[in-house]
Amino acid sequence: MSSMTSAHAPTPASDVGRGAPSGMVGRTTGDRIILGLTIALAIVMMAPLLWVVALSLKDNKELMVSMNAVFHAPYTVQNYINILATSSVFRWILNSLVVAGGLTVGTLVLSSLAGYGFARLNFPFRNVLFVIVLMGLAVPEQAVLIARHQLFSWLKLHNTYPGLILPGLSAPFGVFLMTQYFRAIPKELDEAALLDNASRFKIFWKVLLPLTLPAQATLGIFTFLGAWNDYLWPLISGTKKEMYTLTVGIASTQTNFAQSEGLGFLMSQAVFAGAPILILYLFFQKYIVTAVSGAAVR
Amino acid sequence: MIHTLRTSFLAATAACALAGGLLASPAFAATELTFQRFFGACDADFGSNTDVSKAVGECGIITSMVNKFNADNPDIHVAVTTVEWPGYDQLTAQFAAGDPPDIVTIHHSALSDYQTKGLLLPLDDLLAANGIKPADFTDASRNGVTKDGKIYGLPIDNWTMLFHINMDLFKQAGLVDASGKPILPKSVDELLAQAKQFKEKTGKPYLIQNLANETALYTRNLYTYLFQQNSDFFADPTKVKINTPEAKKVVEMYKAIFDQGDTTKDLDYAASINAFLAGEGGVHLNGTWMIGDYNASAEKPGTALNKGGYAVYPYPQLFSGKHAQYADGHSLAVSQKDRSEEQTAAIGKFLKFMADHDFDWSRTGHLPAMKAVLDSAAFKALPHRDTVAPIAELGTSLPGAVQRQFAIQDIIGQEMSAAITGQKEVDASLADMESRINELLANL
Amino acid sequence: MADAALSSPANRAAPAKARVQNVQAPLWRNALFVLPFLVVFVALLVVPLVWGIWLSLHKADAFSSGRFVGFANYVRLYNDKIFWQAIGNTFYFVLLTVPALAVIGLMLALALNSRTRTAAVLRTVFFASSVLSVTIVTLIWRIVFVPGFGLLATVYGWFGAAPPAFLSDPDLVMIAIAIATIWWCIGLPMMLFLSALQQIPGDIYEAAALDNANRWRTFRYITLPSIKRTFVLVVVIQIVLQFQLFGQAKLMTNGGPNNVSKPMVLYIYEAAFTKWDLGLGAAASEVLFVLILIAAMVQFLVSRRKGESA
Repeated sequence: MSSMTSAHAPTPASDVGRGAPSGMVGRTTGDRIILGLTIALAIVMMAPLLWVVALSLKDNKELMVSMNAVFHAPYTVQNYINILATSSVFRWILNSLVVAGGLTVGTLVLSSLAGYGFARLNFPFRNVLFVIVLMGLAVPEQAVLIARHQLFSWLKLHNTYPGLILPGLSAPFGVFLMTQYFRAIPKELDEAALLDNASRFKIFWKVLLPLTLPAQATLGIFTFLGAWNDYLWPLISGTKKEMYTLTVGIASTQTNFAQSEGLGFLMSQAVFAGAPILILYLFFQKYIVTAVSGAAVR
Repeated sequence: MIHTLRTSFLAATAACALAGGLLASPAFAATELTFQRFFGACDADFGSNTDVSKAVGECGIITSMVNKFNADNPDIHVAVTTVEWPGYDQLTAQFAAGDPPDIVTIHHSALSDYQTKGLLLPLDDLLAANGIKPADFTDASRNGVTKDGKIYGLPIDNWTMLFHINMDLFKQAGLVDASGKPILPKSVDELLAQAKQFKEKTGKPYLIQNLANETALYTRNLYTYLFQQNSDFFADPTKVKINTPEAKKVVEMYKAIFDQGDTTKDLDYAASINAFLAGEGGVHLNGTWMIGDYNASAEKPGTALNKGGYAVYPYPQLFSGKHAQYADGHSLAVSQKDRSEEQTAAIGKFLKFMADHDFDWSRTGHLPAMKAVLDSAAFKALPHRDTVAPIAELGTSLPGAVQRQFAIQDIIGQEMSAAITGQKEVDASLADMESRINELLANL
Repeated sequence: MADAALSSPANRAAPAKARVQNVQAPLWRNALFVLPFLVVFVALLVVPLVWGIWLSLHKADAFSSGRFVGFANYVRLYNDKIFWQAIGNTFYFVLLTVPALAVIGLMLALALNSRTRTAAVLRTVFFASSVLSVTIVTLIWRIVFVPGFGLLATVYGWFGAAPPAFLSDPDLVMIAIAIATIWWCIGLPMMLFLSALQQIPGDIYEAAALDNANRWRTFRYITLPSIKRTFVLVVVIQIVLQFQLFGQAKLMTNGGPNNVSKPMVLYIYEAAFTKWDLGLGAAASEVLFVLILIAAMVQFLVSRRKGESA
């Protein structure tokens, strides 16, 4: 974020309140009111998360007596220890990583190649094909779910990593994004290379691909997040315990009706499943934000 | 960065190879069986426990039973997959994919869905080979798992809905007789009058029901009181007749309770349990599986149930027809699949083990599926079993040939909730209920 | 969607085309670049889609191929009040969420478009929820809305009041789902607007400041026209996304009470996996597909006309 802002800020930052292109010069009462309101809204945003974290740190039995127990000690990490004792949980994390990672890499490869092809090269039926791919954007995953499930049954791909990864590769969003991006790169670049008799692939690989890094980052992050959070397809395709992704696995440990004392435990599961991705987000925040911004405006 | 990008291209190939490699599962010397069940996961407490008598709750007991079986039979390994309740979407997907688990928990009421498609193995021969006779099961259990004259699942229990009672509030409401037993209604009018009295004396609702986005409770309530009026609404298992005066009476009764504020209104399932434990109402309509938890709470000083005690009874008989209430049960079904003789024998051994440990399972609160356990002194000595024992006789399920009972339950629950909360006229809901169910059944 | 984003780079590239006409000749081997994606696309999207259309003309369940019934499944849909209700619910939900997401997202972007540390922290807060999965988001919001011991009930309890029954009152459930959805999805529109705001040259604002233009006039006459295209983009992305509402409704209310919160996708899922009525589910899928396609087309035409007039 900061790098972007400095590129466009009217003047180098001279004081903290400066540099806002939205026309705020200095701090006025109006700015303060807006800031106050935004902070209030942020607190409202955070409240549910904090509530859940607080619940997860409480003894289940204490919560049964009164919810007000949330607001005072003692707190405990016992619920988290119980999750870790579920032997499969690390396997599920690994599965989620393999699926989300595989899908991300695969999407980047396929989308970059296709994006380059559609944007920079000419071949018969190119425009027709591109329109068909664009129409694919309107196909909701659920509309092809049933047929896809039958197809994968026939190919014996359920309960395998390819089975969990492949459906995501057919989403046209990446191609759409990369095509846009490749089109925006000045044509002179590869024309010069073409005159040197460089092959099409070499131009793609050496000249253009490096220029698309911001778009790669955006697409990669969206793909990874989407795959990590997917629920429907893993639920019906990865049906063996060893092939559960974290989302499905965590859901499966929730007990049948008999459970009456597990509120804290349930909440710790929510935190546990959400935490890795939140930490990842905080860690890569700068890149994510830059990437989202970078690709969006084009 | 460019370097990273190139590496990632190469990584794609590597990832595919890796994924392929992981597909091959390691070979086990022992016969491997897959067992898919709901009831949750509780590895933290019972993951390595093999002493079944020490386990409590559905999850704890079944986890310990499987552990014990694996420990006793080193030549067999039962691998457990837990699914989110009730797991039928997943099971259907697995069957469609041709890759179902060997053994799976299925409700008696859901067996026919899979049985009619030829997906389940008839168990008569396998059970007989392991010394289990159909006559060993209670009538309700045997009927629940018998389809077209064959047994399609090992019944492990029967369950039903009950009146879980907060005796402290009942005393305050003057609804306890001289011998200390709760006074329960014998007719619809009595029910409404007692509910009114309860509210006047305690200021709290008579019933605790989980009515928020709930369908199962409504449906079970309706079935129970239709049975009590001798309404044979599924005389033809493919066509329901539920837009009847009998059904109207039941819906209007629950609507009256709702309108008078004699029930909790917006609670979901978990919240209703919390409300009962916190003493927010007199009677919790919930299943057999809660007896253990509520009994434990009642024994703990300082809790709402400890104050005046906890009692549990079958639904009261409110109509003049046969004495009955809706019941269902859990069973262990075996999928149709190509298997070696060792595998089939291992399944038989597992089922035999589960049948032999039916008493342990009945400690959950469910009624045992084995006659011998039901009649045993050990079972009768469990808390509250004296008052709920009659459900063994009362328990009635829908005709076994009725398919898609879970989908039907959704329809009934939706329409009944609309009628009771006043979203829709009672007559209109019953008419829609009937036509929607028949539309479903006409398109199987 | 494509047009809004593609038009300007394409125009810029136009003059270059003439000079290298020879290398721009259509060649089959050039298609090799798009081939890998097209194979996956056809195999896993087009084929299932066509298969779905074929299925929708059959009476089929998960375990048999079924028999041909023509348009019977579509007739059943037409006569099914609940299907119509599901369509209505879906449109209602889009109406509840999309304008809110666009307007709140823009307001947040305007408020947080500064280089202060506070703004950076706040941006993080508002985007953070977007990375959570739907199972977690719904778990969180159920524990907020649940009567008796939810966050809302606890807060209302301090004032001795009971909160509205967000998860069971027919008039409120959709709003509850919309609130959870807005909470979950607000990060993306905010970021898109922020990046659009960053693209506006600062000197325009400086000129406005010299003219003593007030905050509203600056916004109305400078900011808004500059981000018009992003606004359209945000609205279209959100319409397509929110049309596909599934997880929140399934996990928070399961479509209840009495179907008032059942969206189309949940209807499809239930038809296929609860009723095992694959043909009916497939037919409903095709209707959903056509509706989304129409929405996308309308946007395409509108943005094209705008592009021409500009």
